[in-house]
Amino acid sequence: MSVIVAASLTQRFGSEVGLDGVDLDVDAGEHLAVLGDNGAGKTTLLRILATAARPTSGRIEIFGLNATIERRRLRGVIGFVAHAPGLYPALSAAENLEFYCTLQGVDRGRVAEVLELVGLAELAHRPADKLSRGAQQRLAIGRAVLHDPKLLVLDEPDASLDSGGADLLARVMRGRTAVIATHDHALANRLCQRSLMLRRGRVVGVPTRLRVVH
Amino acid sequence: MRSEWRTRELVPALAQFVVLALVIANFGFQIDSRNAPAIAPGVLWMALVFAGLVAFGRAFAAEREQSSLEAMLMTPASPAAIFAGKALAAALLLVLCEAVLLPALALFFSVPLSLEVVSAVLLATVGMAVLGCLFAAMVARVRARELLLPLLTLPLWIPFIVFGGQAVQVAMGGGGGAGNASGLLIDLDILFVVLTSLVARFVLDD
Repeated sequence: MSVIVAASLTQRFGSEVGLDGVDLDVDAGEHLAVLGDNGAGKTTLLRILATAARPTSGRIEIFGLNATIERRRLRGVIGFVAHAPGLYPALSAAENLEFYCTLQGVDRGRVAEVLELVGLAELAHRPADKLSRGAQQRLAIGRAVLHDPKLLVLDEPDASLDSGGADLLARVMRGRTAVIATHDHALANRLCQRSLMLRRGRVVGVPTRLRVVH
Repeated sequence: MRSEWRTRELVPALAQFVVLALVIANFGFQIDSRNAPAIAPGVLWMALVFAGLVAFGRAFAAEREQSSLEAMLMTPASPAAIFAGKALAAALLLVLCEAVLLPALALFFSVPLSLEVVSAVLLATVGMAVLGCLFAAMVARVRARELLLPLLTLPLWIPFIVFGGQAVQVAMGGGGGAGNASGLLIDLDILFVVLTSLVARFVLDD
């Protein structure tokens, strides 16, 4: 069963074309890597998949719902890690997650569980601005899985992560459908079953089946 | 509010600002018992308006600097509810500022600080907060936001300053027919709370 079905996705920014007629089909439980150079359109595509942006044209359905219309409903089942961690610097790691528990309608008891999952249990009471960049990224990943989403959209989540980052990503992606943008082909190879190469907003070739290690 | 409590970035600066504004006005005008009730309301609203512009200019600062607005919008929470939370927090900051401003005004200008004065200021704060927060959200991602925020906000704050000023002037014994200034402030509050909650979704999420 397809979780994401997109057809002719196009995103324009004035005269610039961010995404040009992208078709996509992601099955339930599948992990798809989106590869490409800087400016290839990875972030644009992922923002549309996460319902953070609407495409200029094209059709996109996620879990059978029109993703340009049913955004709020879908946000309850999508976890998104964007480029910026989007944390409140004066609040501790636990307080940041508690705040998002309120917005997600999730019990605050989930916070300890998520901090453990992302390896931040010992830093739970440290203010976010006193965390290293890698720990902030772990916290952002924790926030994305706080509501136990069925679909994870991860925009270069490996940025700033240490050597244990790949294991963390494997843990949070397990049992979920995931789309991950990365420059790291080895990471894509380890975490994903398929990859999609973007160049100047277009899909290059056909989605490639990767060697699955996990 | 918890972030503000931890960092104490805004409230002490705003409190200092309004007290300084009163000190300058006190020296700038020849204040005596006859003209104080006429001058004090003007000084009050000037200080409040500029403090408000600073407060609302910072309302989306954390979200802008840390890109946390998108993270908030990526939850199922309604954008109108997120906006209401931000407006409430900004209004509370302004109320804290008023808690310093009003007693200082009474002290510097020797004008009575009655319940009517406090209620007029609080009523104006509601409408000013929702409008200020709406425009702050609108300009949060614009480079010239410091310039645009007053340009957009001040014209729509004028009715609050006019009717709030009338109500405060009458309450301070400055004469003039207030009519039903407080009633008009309530009407304006209802109008702008409803309007801003309707358009908040488009401002925040699109």
